[in-house]
Amino acid sequence: MKASLGVLALALGTSATVLGVGTLALGLYRRDERLLRAGRRYVFLVLAAAVLAVGVMEWALLSHDFSIEYVAENNARATPLLFTITGLWAALEGSILLWGLILGGYLAVMAYKFRDRATDPLVAWATLTGLVVALFFFGLMLGPANPFKTLGTAPLDGRGPNPLLQNHPLMAFHPPMLYLGYVGFTVPFSFAIASLVTGRFGEGWLADTRRATLVAWGFLTTGIILGAWWSYEVLGWGGYWAWDPVENASLLPWLTATAFIHSVIVQERRGMLRVWNLSLVIATFCLTILGTFLTRSGVLNSVHSFTESTIGPVLLGFLGFVAAVGIGLIAWRGDRLRAPGRIDSPVSRESAFLANNLLFAGLAFVVLLGTVYPLLAEAIQGRELSVGEPYFDRMTTPIGIALLFLMAAAPALPWRATSGEVLRRRLLVPAWAGALAMLVAVALGARELAQVLTFGLAAFAVGGIVRQFWLGQRSLGLVRAVRGNPRLYGGLVVHVGVVLVALAIASSSVYTTRREVRLTRGQSAEVRGYEVTYLGSRTERGDQKTTVSARIRVERGGDDLGTYAPAISTFPGTPQGIGTPSVRTGLREDVYLTLISSPNRQGRVTIGVAVNPMILWLWVGGGVMAIGTLLALTPGSRRPRIARPAPAAVEEPVEPVGAPV
Amino acid sequence: MSARAWACAGLVVVVAIVLTIVLWPRSATPSTSARVESIASELRCPDCESQSIAQSSTPTARAARADIRRRIEAGQSDADIRQAYIDKFGESILWKPESGGIGILVWGLPVAALILGGAGLAFALARWRREPRLHATDADERLVEQQRAAE
Amino acid sequence: MRHRVRWIALSAAVIVAALAVVLALQVGDDPRADASRSQLTGTIAPSFDLPTLDGTSVRSADLRGKVVLVNFWNSWCAPCQEEHPALVEFFERHADEPGFAMVGIVRHDTREAIRSFVDEEGVPYTVAFDPGSRAAFDYGTRGQPETYALAPDGVIEASKIGPSSLGQLEQMYRVAKGSA
Repeated sequence: MKASLGVLALALGTSATVLGVGTLALGLYRRDERLLRAGRRYVFLVLAAAVLAVGVMEWALLSHDFSIEYVAENNARATPLLFTITGLWAALEGSILLWGLILGGYLAVMAYKFRDRATDPLVAWATLTGLVVALFFFGLMLGPANPFKTLGTAPLDGRGPNPLLQNHPLMAFHPPMLYLGYVGFTVPFSFAIASLVTGRFGEGWLADTRRATLVAWGFLTTGIILGAWWSYEVLGWGGYWAWDPVENASLLPWLTATAFIHSVIVQERRGMLRVWNLSLVIATFCLTILGTFLTRSGVLNSVHSFTESTIGPVLLGFLGFVAAVGIGLIAWRGDRLRAPGRIDSPVSRESAFLANNLLFAGLAFVVLLGTVYPLLAEAIQGRELSVGEPYFDRMTTPIGIALLFLMAAAPALPWRATSGEVLRRRLLVPAWAGALAMLVAVALGARELAQVLTFGLAAFAVGGIVRQFWLGQRSLGLVRAVRGNPRLYGGLVVHVGVVLVALAIASSSVYTTRREVRLTRGQSAEVRGYEVTYLGSRTERGDQKTTVSARIRVERGGDDLGTYAPAISTFPGTPQGIGTPSVRTGLREDVYLTLISSPNRQGRVTIGVAVNPMILWLWVGGGVMAIGTLLALTPGSRRPRIARPAPAAVEEPVEPVGAPV
Repeated sequence: MSARAWACAGLVVVVAIVLTIVLWPRSATPSTSARVESIASELRCPDCESQSIAQSSTPTARAARADIRRRIEAGQSDADIRQAYIDKFGESILWKPESGGIGILVWGLPVAALILGGAGLAFALARWRREPRLHATDADERLVEQQRAAE
Repeated sequence: MRHRVRWIALSAAVIVAALAVVLALQVGDDPRADASRSQLTGTIAPSFDLPTLDGTSVRSADLRGKVVLVNFWNSWCAPCQEEHPALVEFFERHADEPGFAMVGIVRHDTREAIRSFVDEEGVPYTVAFDPGSRAAFDYGTRGQPETYALAPDGVIEASKIGPSSLGQLEQMYRVAKGSA
């Protein structure tokens, strides 16, 4: 019954998208405003259908209705409530259902926000594009990825979600955040396509989608950081980022989207980079689809690929379609789009944004190439190769450092042109902060170039940000300054978050200590100043899993830091034990404990002890980035537009165009 | 010299000192453990996904670490050890693809793309500076303004 | 120069299309199944000296002169259970041949689990443990099951990564025997 209701909801959603697309297309063709107004309403029907379908699925999960295959595979009677609810995104079909719901939500918000402009062809085309995307996902659910497929005979109990997915409450937040990010890019994508189709290539569509883009970007950022946190807390190898294909798939659209939210400022200010910005938006959307394809079709191995299915070719087809439409439209319109803009000086804000975009695009290229290279090598030469952390570290570190430098210096650059005098006045103090930070780092024993540079540039960037806030405080008072230009100050707060993340990455990638110790009960070992003592172990047998946990006391300099319990769980039906690390989180460093082997016949356990510096700041940095995004989203007291800060405008006469710097 | 000029000069000196210290060649031979770690971190754990032999704690990875240590103690060079692993597990054991042959794609393309992009950018900037406002007539600018005002 | 954007878009389309073709070729191609033959095929098999389930030991040196089938397995891997009947039948067909030996080396499992598996399912050939996973590592195994057919001179003549069928086992055996 539930299955039929679910399929009915999906059919309703599909027909609503078809009708919506049809009505809008007819309305646009006949220039019939009534049709355009009517077409827009189907969006709300799509959302209602998605809500209904998700509701039915949650109902089926909560009532353990194992006649539905998805429920039988991803739920069991003993699954705790939280993981019963999160079962919605424990596997492919449910994830696509969630995707549909979020897409419906974004489209409905979009339709509501533009309710007064429903007859505007730009809005109509954007709605139509969004509905076509929704049609694809609803069609996917009615066809190859049907979440409501039933089983002939319902099993008495289900299989339960993948053990790794029912291990940590972060699972409740990380995937929805990621999807809110991925799917959010459908809005700017739809408007980009609409702008190309209607030939309205001004800055209008940018202003219209600015918030949607920022919202999506904020969610994606949060989702990625939460995913790293989940890896760190659950996977137990002591790291947070493995350059795994699934991780790369989430990073790729983030990189192009980050490039976009920077370069969009140049277009707003100077009317330049139109083709480039449209390309970035379309690329971002394509990369979200490519990421879904790479991770769901089973072409690449991954620690995160929990399901493989047959929808690979369908996703690839859709990707090809989207890319063809996007590239085709740009080829058709592109040459007319080119703006007569120019950049006057290589040392100016707009040049810095161009360099930023070059580096972000380069980074995205490296990540994409590294991810698909094994496939290329196999296709070209039939060789089996792999690309992992050493490659990505080597390639991305220089680009990352260059970006950090831009982040430190660029916000102080004026638009159009500048003089050495202005640069010195604005950058001298922050640069000294950076130089002193490098000096301190070297004095404390840091010898790795990348680390020392990161510390220095981090201080440089923070110096510049503090200066900017101080200027705001001096001229208008901080509250008024921020309210006057929330995008500028929000952006600066995001930069503070990036600095924290960079510091955490730089510290943890070099100064991590990892040891394996074998201990009998009561025995202790010392790892980098921490004394770990094995107190004993406990075995818990439940219906869902058997858990062996070791109690480990952690001390430092005689202070008891608490007792931790790394564990290994075995689940019925999944043979290999799943380790659960236990982490003593500290401001300066974490002590990361894993149970590598449970007590042997002599009662000896093997414990992995890692001391990871600064990890906490990675999560804090992610939080700061989210807060900065929220700040940037607050409505400003004037038209939000990145402008030269008011005091600077008074301070400095703009250099004549083309003057030597 | 003004105070600001002194400050700039000081900045250059400090940065130069730091970079000299950091880049000063260190000749100390790495310890066996450091060599094990560095070789193991460039080899893929054969029976798990997305981890190196250095990171993984599967029995195979641990056996591999012990094996690398034995080989180092037997006097094999890093290249010998890597080759031994390629012979045993195939090329896909290398976590970092080799730069020769088809590897030129994965190592060279991004660098080439960045250099090309940078050169293109520099070329465009130079052209814009050489030919001030040649491309845009006032009519063009007005059109842009109209378009932007209209939206 | 008049249609610069168009040319750039065209080259982007070419690159995307090439990428799509490469990806399309790999769809449905399980990356794990790509290498079904061990890298060590054709080389002298690594030596081992392992404790067995019945308390004795098995040494590769003692098996020289025989065709040896080495199977890496454990109690918890599903494909191992899947191929288990084939292994048993294969062994029973050849058990009487004087020049034949078969060893099942346990990969990543506990003695207790193996004991109860053997009690329940029956494993007629030698079951050997691999402390410290030395043998599993020396053979370059990536998982289980993996099967190696050694000629009497100790050369690995045939190998299979993943579960083998009875036919495949016979084929490997013929290859290893034929080269003697």
